[in-house]
Amino acid sequence: MKYFAQRVIHATALLLAISFFSFALVELAPGDYFDSMRLNPEISQQAVAGMRSQYGLDQPLLIRYERWLAALLHGQLGVSLASRGPVGPVLRLRARNTLLLSGTATLFAWLLALPIGIWSATKRNGWADRFWGLATSALLTVPDLVVFLGLLLVAVRTGWFPTGGMRTEATGGLGYWSDAKDFARHLILPALAVALVSVPILIRHIRAAMIEALESPFLRAARGHGIANSRLLFRYALPAASNPLISLLGFSVATMLSASALAEIVLGWPGLGPLLVESILSKDVYLVVAIVMLSSVFLVAGNLLADLLLFASDPRIRME
Amino acid sequence: MTHRHKLWAAFVLLACLHALVFFAGFFAPYDFATQNRDLTFAPPTRIHFVDAQGRFHARPFVYGLRNDPASAGYSVDQTRVYPIRFFSRGSTYRFGRVFPSGLHPFGVDDPGRLFLMGSDAFGRDQFSRFLYGGRISLMAGWIAAALSLLIGMIVGTLAGFYGGWIDHILMRGGELFLALPWLYLLFAVRAALPLHIAEWQVFLLLVAVMGLVGWARPARLIRGVVLSAKERNFVLAARGFGASDMHVICRHVLPQTWGVVLTQMTLLIPQYVLAEVTLSFLGLGASEPIPSWGTLLAALQQYYVLSSFWWMFLPAILLLPVFLLYYAAADALQERLASVPL
Amino acid sequence: MRHRSNQYPELDCAAPLVRIERLSKQYVQRGALTRSKVTVQALDQATLTIRRGTTLALVGESGSGKSTLARCLALLEKPSAGAIWFAGDNLTEMNSKNLLPFHRRIQLIFQDPTSALNPRLSAAEIVMEPLAIQGEGTKLWRRRRALEMMEAVGLPARWEHKRPLEFSGGQRQRIAIARALALEPELLILDEALSSLDLANQEMLLQLLADLQAAHTLTYLHISHDLRLVAQCADEVAVMNQRTIVEQQSALELFARPRHRYTQELLEAMPSLESICLERSA
Repeated sequence: MKYFAQRVIHATALLLAISFFSFALVELAPGDYFDSMRLNPEISQQAVAGMRSQYGLDQPLLIRYERWLAALLHGQLGVSLASRGPVGPVLRLRARNTLLLSGTATLFAWLLALPIGIWSATKRNGWADRFWGLATSALLTVPDLVVFLGLLLVAVRTGWFPTGGMRTEATGGLGYWSDAKDFARHLILPALAVALVSVPILIRHIRAAMIEALESPFLRAARGHGIANSRLLFRYALPAASNPLISLLGFSVATMLSASALAEIVLGWPGLGPLLVESILSKDVYLVVAIVMLSSVFLVAGNLLADLLLFASDPRIRME
Repeated sequence: MTHRHKLWAAFVLLACLHALVFFAGFFAPYDFATQNRDLTFAPPTRIHFVDAQGRFHARPFVYGLRNDPASAGYSVDQTRVYPIRFFSRGSTYRFGRVFPSGLHPFGVDDPGRLFLMGSDAFGRDQFSRFLYGGRISLMAGWIAAALSLLIGMIVGTLAGFYGGWIDHILMRGGELFLALPWLYLLFAVRAALPLHIAEWQVFLLLVAVMGLVGWARPARLIRGVVLSAKERNFVLAARGFGASDMHVICRHVLPQTWGVVLTQMTLLIPQYVLAEVTLSFLGLGASEPIPSWGTLLAALQQYYVLSSFWWMFLPAILLLPVFLLYYAAADALQERLASVPL
Repeated sequence: MRHRSNQYPELDCAAPLVRIERLSKQYVQRGALTRSKVTVQALDQATLTIRRGTTLALVGESGSGKSTLARCLALLEKPSAGAIWFAGDNLTEMNSKNLLPFHRRIQLIFQDPTSALNPRLSAAEIVMEPLAIQGEGTKLWRRRRALEMMEAVGLPARWEHKRPLEFSGGQRQRIAIARALALEPELLILDEALSSLDLANQEMLLQLLADLQAAHTLTYLHISHDLRLVAQCADEVAVMNQRTIVEQQSALELFARPRHRYTQELLEAMPSLESICLERSA
């Protein structure tokens, strides 16, 4: 428990530092949201100044940070300048979408990578291993952006997948099942995209972890006892390899988040990614900070989760 | 192929690519901003050796295009024939920013057009824009990678050599940068800078942003090397002669890091090129009319472009060999460094 | 080659060059994740003296603290307690700035010559380094001096550009010796310097060291666990056990009439040393 408490404290300190960091970063930008209004002759300078002070944008950095932090502790994330409403609800919706996407993509990715990785490890240096090795290298060379654009091209040309959005407008209300099917159809392409770019690295790591487990002395001893191969694989090797694999799961959250942000933008999934770009382009300060904070919360949470799972599964760590 | 062959092949090919891009002015038949309003979204120009009458010409030629209302595109006008001239005169550029010249390796006379990769929404030659765009993207990648490595080296060496609270603070700071998904971090830092920026400043700003974002991982790796290097006996021997810290660092510790620095360089450059492409793609990087590979790809975000004009996808495909070369070079370099003793 | 003793005429050659008094050294290791501290005692009140121009051999088993003593004497470690007197100066009470000139006068040769030489530098650069660090002369002068030192240890000057890996083990140790001698030290500490060499090389290097000692009035502290080697070159022998010095005498005395129980046990393993010693002094 002490181990875990240490971790949590560390994570909190980190998040605090990140919050100040991102706050300060956005502050550095010259000009603010209301600059575009200054160009409009119909709005007087006083009105702009009034709006500015209403949102507290005329205060110095530290005061604004304090206020923001205080509000945060009350569960308020600030106000979105573009939508004039609180940041919370906007964020919640988009965050839910991003989590849905990342979660599904993680599922797809591991469903693909785990069997391939294990198979490659068992048939090491055989034709299957070499084939997958080549395939992963090839896929790794292709930049994420190009993969997403390629999938978009496929979607447009073949019409198999809908592009953009989460549901088809016209068909809403036809019943729960058809809504769900529609939603799934919209989800598949982005989830597949994110999974595709994460799979190669996953395969490599899984293969490496399995090979290490398969070559360890205790496994060779078990094999010497005449235990069947399949039993060896699932009851001996896989649990031994689970330690690095669980860490991998935690850390893959980070790369998944970056990849999904880009996929959302290119493939039109309404998640945190497009929202971030929009808010940067419109200098919606508090929204930007909130999104950046949220992404790092996810990342840190992912790592914490990995630590917790590791703690629970690996007795060696418990002994320290 | 041995390590050496692979390494040399990769480097030579990379050098060719960079030469093409560096001398874009010469190699590109057109300027990156010249518009042809009557030839928007023209497909790649077909090169012919045999004309309509079935005669073979040693010099390849192209046909002129005219608007075809029936197919909402273009049809070939076989009455207008433009032979391809080599070492032709075309759009002017400045060689080394000083000497104006109009020489190009190939081109066709006006009003014929040789669009090797087709044209975009403004009738600009995609091939020329690809070459010019490479300048921004590749150079941004190089300089940003160098910046990140420089910061990483300084931080890693200080942290590894002196240890204690310096190490603690620097590594915690690095953790901060590593705790954000890189794309979000990139956006956040980009948000700190003014949105609409003029030409050269775009470049410098982008480079600074990317360089400042990615120092944490190289710093960690270099710190590891420094930690083990400073315990080596020859370092101890130098201290036995009364060597100062600076002497030990410069003469003995830093040279041990060259291997890591080199491999990191070859890995970071493609990453940063990709970062620039992503930023420009999203409109957060280079802005019109400066071409970058990202802005070339940005057009693909529109549905009708994707569905009707296949050649607009070519820049995306051409990116593949570029990255392939860099990764191959990185692999070959790693193998080579691993095989050299010590 | 200058005769050593003229350089410090004010010193009495009979007075000890080095006097180590009750030297102690502790290492404190913090646990990685836990809060515990582990204290390792590496030296415990060691006392010995070395007279100028002689060779003192320090023997004892591994872990008895020989290397720690060598490092403290070579100013690479700071002792926790005790004093080191060198030619009348108390080294343990000086700050690093005042200690700088003493780095020239005391030099250490490591056991493994390969790790002690930077593999990326050439032989000449390695030998030149101490001169550069101490700021002696111009680059040209330093190179010439380095080549002189190489010749003095028996390595041809034309090998100056070779890297350490191109030399054999014995030759690398010669480079290390050349480097150590570049600054004209008074005391040379050899920390198991000959242990990694084969017998033939050991003989050659012992001869070289003896010649250099005669030519430059060098003082040697020879740390070794090889008693046969010790018998061949030592004037005095100090025995180390359990991190402290248990006995120090002239070599002949020690081998003939060992006083401490540990020394006796040590010598029981090698019965013929007395005869080797007798042969040498005859």
